[in-house]
Amino acid sequence: MSSQSDPTLPPPASFHAPSLAELALPFGKIGISSFGGGLSAWVYREMVDARHWITEDEFLGAVTMSQILPGANIVNLALQIGFRLRGGIGSVVAVLSLLVPPMIVVILLGIALTSIGHIDWLHDFLEGLAATAIGLSASVGLRSARRSLRMGWWPSLLSLSVIIGVFGLQWPIVPVIFGLAVCGLFIARVKIRG
Amino acid sequence: MSDENIYLTLVKVFAPLSLISIGGGQSIVGDIHHQAVDVHQWLTQGRFIDLFAISRAAPGPGALLTTLIGWDVSGFAGALVASLALFVPSSLLAYLVTRAWHGKREEPWYRWVQAGLAPLATGLILASALTIIRATSGGASPWIIAGVSAAFFSRFHKVNPLPILAIGGLIQVLVARFLA
Repeated sequence: MSSQSDPTLPPPASFHAPSLAELALPFGKIGISSFGGGLSAWVYREMVDARHWITEDEFLGAVTMSQILPGANIVNLALQIGFRLRGGIGSVVAVLSLLVPPMIVVILLGIALTSIGHIDWLHDFLEGLAATAIGLSASVGLRSARRSLRMGWWPSLLSLSVIIGVFGLQWPIVPVIFGLAVCGLFIARVKIRG
Repeated sequence: MSDENIYLTLVKVFAPLSLISIGGGQSIVGDIHHQAVDVHQWLTQGRFIDLFAISRAAPGPGALLTTLIGWDVSGFAGALVASLALFVPSSLLAYLVTRAWHGKREEPWYRWVQAGLAPLATGLILASALTIIRATSGGASPWIIAGVSAAFFSRFHKVNPLPILAIGGLIQVLVARFLA
């Protein structure tokens, strides 16, 4: 592998870290133009393809980490890339420029909805839209459930336990997830010899 | 609702959810619904579904549903407090881990930690989907639309979802007008 893909080495001499304003621009663009998921593909295009700020290996490592950690994956991804490029202040700038513009848009939409008042067909439209979005979200869960089958029966059993506990029995989510996280980490540690 | 300070309540609801939202914002939507509609009665089922739909159709991460609920409960200050409560704890953790891990090589523990936590994220995403669909106004059509949508996106997961979301909305309008 070339030294460029090794994150333990300092960036090459030709590399100029972007200024904070330069960093804010692509994340603001991603935040405002991303609809319905698939945001990490945009980050790849902006950070790896278009600007060469990080390598593909760094990108993939950051994606893995963003999925392990709690929090919106795209926020964790922005945070790590911001840190990689400009340290702690880079993290703050990347996350804020990602979140603040769509926050303003979403509140404006909320205001618009409220000022229109209750219209039956509008509520029906939003309900159908919500149902479709739920299907989209479920398809992500279903695909990862199918992928997990190649590791055996235990991932499906864990997923099923979450569904029974949280949806079926409506137990409090925090203790359910902490308890099952301990089980999941224990089983994975035994099954996957790292 | 009790006399307790509303901002404190928002923090108490969203900050713990922040730290268990493995797999991203969509995994905790079910519990957000439970807290906002059942426990604290900030909004009705119908209003929740409206806000949820807006958060999906609008740009940005779906976790901005929290911003909308905070705004609905207590205006701009509510939006700010709820958003901070949801994004700061997980971001702080991510920051500390990133800083501790920065520059280190990828270690084998990545693999088993991810393998151990991924099934929980999967379970949470599916449980949230079921919770929200149960919160729709009833009738079979939201279940059928969600099922067809899940099958469609399982097969064509690279399709831009926005037009499909609009089609789903239009179908429900037609169903409510002509079949109900």
